[in-house]
Amino acid sequence: MKRGSLISLFIYAVIAGIIIFLLVLLFRAMVPEPPQSEVEMARAAIAKARDRQSEVYSPRLFREAQNNYDSAMTAWRAENERFILFRDYERVISFAATAREKADEATRNTIKRSTSLKANLESEIKRLKADMASFEKIFLSMPLPQDVKKKHAKGKQLLREAEVDLQKENYVNGNIKLTEANEYISGTYNLARTNLEEYFRHYSDWQEWATSTINESRKSGSYAIVVEKIPAVCHLYHGGKKKYTFDAEFGSNWLGDKMSRGDMATPEGKYMVTKKLSGGSTKYYKALMISYPNKIDIQEFNERTRNGKLPADARIGDMIEIHGDGGKGANWTQGCVALRNADMDVIYKYAAKGTPVTIIGSTLTLDEFFASRSK
Amino acid sequence: MKNRFFLAIATVAAVALMASCAKVPQEALDAASAALDSAKTVQTDVYFPAEFAALNDSLTVMLQNIETQKSKSAKDFKAIKANAEAITLKAGELTAGVEAKKAEVKAEAETMMAGATALLDEAKALILKAPKGKEGKAVIEEITNELTVIETSLTDAKTLFDGGTNYVEVVDKVKAATGGLNGIIAELKEAMAKAGVKI
Repeated sequence: MKRGSLISLFIYAVIAGIIIFLLVLLFRAMVPEPPQSEVEMARAAIAKARDRQSEVYSPRLFREAQNNYDSAMTAWRAENERFILFRDYERVISFAATAREKADEATRNTIKRSTSLKANLESEIKRLKADMASFEKIFLSMPLPQDVKKKHAKGKQLLREAEVDLQKENYVNGNIKLTEANEYISGTYNLARTNLEEYFRHYSDWQEWATSTINESRKSGSYAIVVEKIPAVCHLYHGGKKKYTFDAEFGSNWLGDKMSRGDMATPEGKYMVTKKLSGGSTKYYKALMISYPNKIDIQEFNERTRNGKLPADARIGDMIEIHGDGGKGANWTQGCVALRNADMDVIYKYAAKGTPVTIIGSTLTLDEFFASRSK
Repeated sequence: MKNRFFLAIATVAAVALMASCAKVPQEALDAASAALDSAKTVQTDVYFPAEFAALNDSLTVMLQNIETQKSKSAKDFKAIKANAEAITLKAGELTAGVEAKKAEVKAEAETMMAGATALLDEAKALILKAPKGKEGKAVIEEITNELTVIETSLTDAKTLFDGGTNYVEVVDKVKAATGGLNGIIAELKEAMAKAGVKI
């Protein structure tokens, strides 16, 4: 090859190179910029939301963010299928921006919601524990249906599970368990409280009976017995002054007045000792038979039978005593008042035929009773 | 001369075109995706939640990078291929590790269940010796109710355990039951100590 040809070939090559270079530059300038940073920012925002558990705490927003991100990627793929110079990433950028916005909103909402759920979980656990403690202090010994007590126990276990969730920062699950626990604990607490409030409607009668019995004892300078069912005690008065207080046990269905024979309830009213029994004449160590039913009891029983509140074949109870063999830690009698044998010895010694025996719910008002139990 | 000029342009253009026609490493990508699916099937998301989420995120980044490369005039998928292979490897490691982790949590659940059962027996035995003072029977009845509920909860945990679907859930359930049992035992022991009953 001649030298001149080589030089001209070299020049052509250089010119071609320059032209191609310029064409490449032009081509590159015409190629649209990929939406890499916008999509990446959206992904990072979603990852952050996921780390904060937005899937759990802000599921709707998180799903929206995720859907927009998926749409951005689908649009990007579709654009990449087109000829490079005809691509338009506007839709991709728009979807990515929405995804980022939703993800950021999900994160903010999650922080707010998880903080509030955590606070709710903590305060509700505290409240339910207090309700539970009140229930146990106040209502544990009350003759509530077994089902109510079982529900209370179930609520207690759910509360423990909610506490485990709180420790593990599973606030949503914790709150779900708490709602269930609340139904059991507050439900049983409210039911028991309603029963007790209903029972305390007779408070004015109780107060009147107890006061008149103590006044009679003061006037006559003799002995009188006052039995309080709620605090489960039996007082022995002399000359209007309280001399002794003994723990007492009652019939298993003691909350309320006795309605009929076999209802396991201990009667309420003003009675007197009719007979003193000891040795072989009673199976309960020693006993003081009382004048149940009195006139009011008979009148109320007849009225209930007439009104259909009691079945036609119902019979009025009798043989109610204050007797020994108590101290079992339960309300186990069929309606009598049971004392420990040592206490029975004392009361048996001082009581005589005709000694007044008044059985009431409580000398404390309902509020005083609650206050005394919450100490 | 004109021919030479076009030949030169064609050569340079061909080189540029070849550079822009690099292929997506589809095989490596499919393998990474399949490895993640397998990992999820064996509950990697349950036993290694953070690692699984990170891996999933890596896959998302990789898919994004593919589109970035596809958007360019000069594409390069070498790094993506390496990335996909790394994901496949890591997913494989996690999948292999799940069995060991599962066995570990299973053993923990088993130990906790045995411990809770022993506590339940202890509480039942203590109840028989518990003092029956004032309201004693009511307290015992309450505790008995609680023990029944806890026993049911432990039975539920055992059913979950036997199902083998989620031992983490079993551990949580037994943890709550154990807390309850410890409370009951402490309460009973305190009452017995006050009443001077030998334990």
